[in-house]
Amino acid sequence: MDKPKIILFICNWGPHAAFQSLQDNDADIPVEVRMIRIPCTGRMSKSLLFKSFEMGADGVALVGCEPGSCRYGSGTESAERNVEDTRGILHLLGLGGDRLRLAMFLPEESEALLRFLQDFSDVIETIGKSPVTPNPRDVAALSHMETARIVAAHDVYACQDCGKCSSACPVTLSGKSFSPRAMANAIIGGDLDSPAVVEDVWSCLTCGLCTDRCPSVVNFPDFIREMRHMLKCGGVEGQQSHGGFFQSLMRTMTSPHLTINHWDWLPPDIKTDEKSPILYFGGCAPYFDTFFRHHLGVNTSDILSDSLRLMNFFDIFPAIHPGERCCGHDLLWSGDEENFLRLARLNAKAFQEMGIEEIVTSCPECFRTLSHDYPRAGIPLNIKVTHVYDLLEKEISKGAVDFEETEHRITFQDPCRLSRLEGRPELPRKLLQRLRPQGIKEMQDRGISALCCGNCAWTGCDSYTKALQNKRLRQARATGSDLLVTACPKCQIHLKCAMQDPFRGNEIEMEIMDLTGLMAKTIKWE
Amino acid sequence: MATKTASTQHKEVLITGFGGQGIVLAGQILGKAASLVDRKESTLTQSYGPEARGGACSAQVIISQSTIHYPYVRIPHIVLCLSQGGYDKYANSVRSDGMLIVDQDLVRISEGSDRTLYRVPATRIAEELGRKMMANIVMLGFLSAVSDVVTKDALHATVVKSVPKGTEELNSTAFHKGYDYGAAILKGIEKKAAGKKGAKS
Repeated sequence: MDKPKIILFICNWGPHAAFQSLQDNDADIPVEVRMIRIPCTGRMSKSLLFKSFEMGADGVALVGCEPGSCRYGSGTESAERNVEDTRGILHLLGLGGDRLRLAMFLPEESEALLRFLQDFSDVIETIGKSPVTPNPRDVAALSHMETARIVAAHDVYACQDCGKCSSACPVTLSGKSFSPRAMANAIIGGDLDSPAVVEDVWSCLTCGLCTDRCPSVVNFPDFIREMRHMLKCGGVEGQQSHGGFFQSLMRTMTSPHLTINHWDWLPPDIKTDEKSPILYFGGCAPYFDTFFRHHLGVNTSDILSDSLRLMNFFDIFPAIHPGERCCGHDLLWSGDEENFLRLARLNAKAFQEMGIEEIVTSCPECFRTLSHDYPRAGIPLNIKVTHVYDLLEKEISKGAVDFEETEHRITFQDPCRLSRLEGRPELPRKLLQRLRPQGIKEMQDRGISALCCGNCAWTGCDSYTKALQNKRLRQARATGSDLLVTACPKCQIHLKCAMQDPFRGNEIEMEIMDLTGLMAKTIKWE
Repeated sequence: MATKTASTQHKEVLITGFGGQGIVLAGQILGKAASLVDRKESTLTQSYGPEARGGACSAQVIISQSTIHYPYVRIPHIVLCLSQGGYDKYANSVRSDGMLIVDQDLVRISEGSDRTLYRVPATRIAEELGRKMMANIVMLGFLSAVSDVVTKDALHATVVKSVPKGTEELNSTAFHKGYDYGAAILKGIEKKAAGKKGAKS
């Protein structure tokens, strides 16, 4: 059997000296330990720690300096937070948090360091090899033939260069030198890898507002999706937010032998039925909450538990899949079609094995991906996919259900995948109208014309993104409402992040709540 | 009182409303469903003379396991009211273990009755479906959910057979809306009795 692979990230300043004296003394350092010298443990982001596991590490040790002895002051604290969050993610993924360890040693503690390494090596030996199978990808040259095919497939030639797209595009309006039509024309002209084109392809929010405005109805989001795929195959990647952590996470989930713990946090008051032909597909919220817990304190998992509570309210007890994987939305929209397909196949197989006839989901991205993108990619599920709002609307319209009055005045942030790409802005509004707030006031840009929350598929977050989010939050505040209701976990994460802008103070702060949360809090039998 | 009224040998149902609301048709459908499909005995008497021209109107249905000797309703088990006039006149005649079903937008309830009362937005539901005149069918759907005087399938089949040609599908939808509303009401009562008011408590 292969020896396990253990990566040791060790701080340059303190413990590296201890490691060196072990080497000088020819100490019995376990052979599976591979040492990488780093400038400070605080600079090891969650994505760097996690990437080691994606690439096939069986254990990772992060070794730094004692608190107070950090050369940069706060390095140890950052490392503690990052390790805690990454361990949470490893637990959800079923890899086990024990595969990642943080330890601190002074330069003279070489014996202690040796004992730590030997002990960690034994622990990893006991846990065994990681079930993650890395998928290295080949880089091919950018192909003009392929570009011509993509341009033709989405009828980008029909662009009349009228500029309606850029007059509506939220990225352009945030001040960035970004123009859908200019990009389209450059690509038609054969320019694939100039910095301007690459930047533009990766900056698009794929929100679809331009398609809505385009007199030739060029499907820009689909075009961008395929262009990203092509560029990625050619090794031209865009900037991925959070160091590419989420893409890395989703790629890791394509390993077939993971035993994921997607649901073990679920509150005990929620009833599910493993034999039910209805599956509730929750989505990645538990990962988001773990990742952002020290930064934003978001609680997007509440969307999952509140959706289930609402279903329970109507005596619907769906199945949940303990080993649920990501639907693959963000991989697909950040150009990684190969791994998207791997995830889709694993999901389709799992649904089939469970005998599922209907999937209910509360995430607009999962909804779109399962209902449209799986069949389009050649993986038809033959399962009815229902958005939880449709299910709730159906149950509530049967009657005898009422809502408690809430003290909030509310406004609503449309999710692009449901309101625009799916063309159903009225669906969440039907439910909103049933609630009993002190008032509902729509923002200036709403429904099919709503402004994006600022980011899609964890790519291309920059200062223009923040400007856009600022604008959106100002619109929300201008309605005079005190509660911003959202319908997508990502809208909540991105807008909460924007609120932390230190230069805006509380100008753009606002309470945020998901629609399912507000409903679960106030629904009652008449 | 969340459970359905227990099935006994003999049931008297009184349906009241304005002329033109389909009161008599509802009575006919109910009686036919009981006799032709559920294989029980049933009678229908209707009061409509001058009253039917926009005034009060009623249909009296008796459903029984054995031969019915007297076709008029004396003390009704169930009263359905689609007008204030019908409610004022008959509300107090319901048996103490019977039930009263009213259209909540057409009837104002007076305080102090301890009989089981169901308020149904029948006309509103029918209006949402596009035809106000289907309120009677919504009521029948509701009745089949909250009582077992007649089976749901029998009533539904008779509704489809009795309504004008071309409106079967719409009336079937109206019936199911009424039934779903009734089922939801019963579920709500049951949940509240079990101490579950909302999704989080």
